[in-house]
Amino acid sequence: MRKRVQIGCMLAGVFGLFGWASITHAQNPPQPATSVVKPHAYVSLEPVPRGKEFEVAVVVDIARGYHVNSHKPTDPYLIPTTVSPQLSAGLQALDTIYPKGKLEKFAFSPDTPLDVYSGSVTIFLRLSAQANTALGSSTIPITLRYQACNDSACLPPVKVPVDVKLEVGTAGAKARNMHPEIFAKASENSAK
Amino acid sequence: MKRNFTALSLAAGLLLAGASFSGCKSNALSPSVNAAGGKPAGPMKEEPNVAFKDLHGASISLASFKGKVVLVNFWATYCEPCRTEIPWLIEFQRKYASKGFSVLGVGMDDEGAKVVQPWVQTTTFDVNGQPTLMDYPIVIGDDDIADKFGGLWAYPTSFLVTRDGKIAKKYIGMIDKEDLEKQIQALLGS
Repeated sequence: MRKRVQIGCMLAGVFGLFGWASITHAQNPPQPATSVVKPHAYVSLEPVPRGKEFEVAVVVDIARGYHVNSHKPTDPYLIPTTVSPQLSAGLQALDTIYPKGKLEKFAFSPDTPLDVYSGSVTIFLRLSAQANTALGSSTIPITLRYQACNDSACLPPVKVPVDVKLEVGTAGAKARNMHPEIFAKASENSAK
Repeated sequence: MKRNFTALSLAAGLLLAGASFSGCKSNALSPSVNAAGGKPAGPMKEEPNVAFKDLHGASISLASFKGKVVLVNFWATYCEPCRTEIPWLIEFQRKYASKGFSVLGVGMDDEGAKVVQPWVQTTTFDVNGQPTLMDYPIVIGDDDIADKFGGLWAYPTSFLVTRDGKIAKKYIGMIDKEDLEKQIQALLGS
């Protein structure tokens, strides 16, 4: 009798723990749209000599389980991922190179794949510092716009700042190549 | 001492087990959670006192739907899971309108009617093999309205409201079609 009661207690405890886990799982806190993507920006040269071209890399880390539309989504109503720099006098935008997206199917769209980014992607800005660019330290304000979804729900589109610090030197100044591990990818998997 | 400990363990285990089984039970009027991880609605709350603007700017209050079972469905044109469930909502509107059911679609695009109206007027969905427009009431939502529903962090989010204006269930993410239909039938029958 005592043994049966003891086994009964153990089973009740096991079921109870299982139930507690179900209730907890059902109450996952929501994630705001700005928290599922972490962007960082880097400059390819330090300093950037006047008259020289350089690059800015915007590395976009997307939380597991989420995706954002690529720069060229499959439908005109879907919101593309874009990067917009605010350039001060002397700085000129030459090109923005977006990575290719991946065509993926999701539970909510099993027949129609969507062109998306997931994991980590890098967007490159090709810029030049003209002769009249202000010397010294400054910041390039950059805005990253994206709209993220998981496999059953979508977060509203957001614009987040990804500012990058820049050092401009005189024409002919000796410049160091910065973050070669990032900028080596500039020619890989690019899409316009 | 051993006997007391045994009794205490049994009581704690039964309490937790009871909580888990009540969470698993499917009950038309109990709060529940959808597969996407939505939150329980909790004990039934009153629907918020809210007025919307329809696509032509006319005012529609949620209270004007009292007497009907209503699915208040927050969606956006850029939301693919929303688009997947829209044909199901059209189907339910057609099937159950005569019994006192209505869907109320709340478009949450930041640009409002400027984007939602042309989209609603031109986008068709396959409903039983026929290309069909959204033919249930569509209104425009904003952050203030979202706040009145407790804040919305994702779309689609839907609230199933009883005939007397109580929120019976909340779904965050794409609905489970079968589950929703059972809930609608149960509320229409009650």
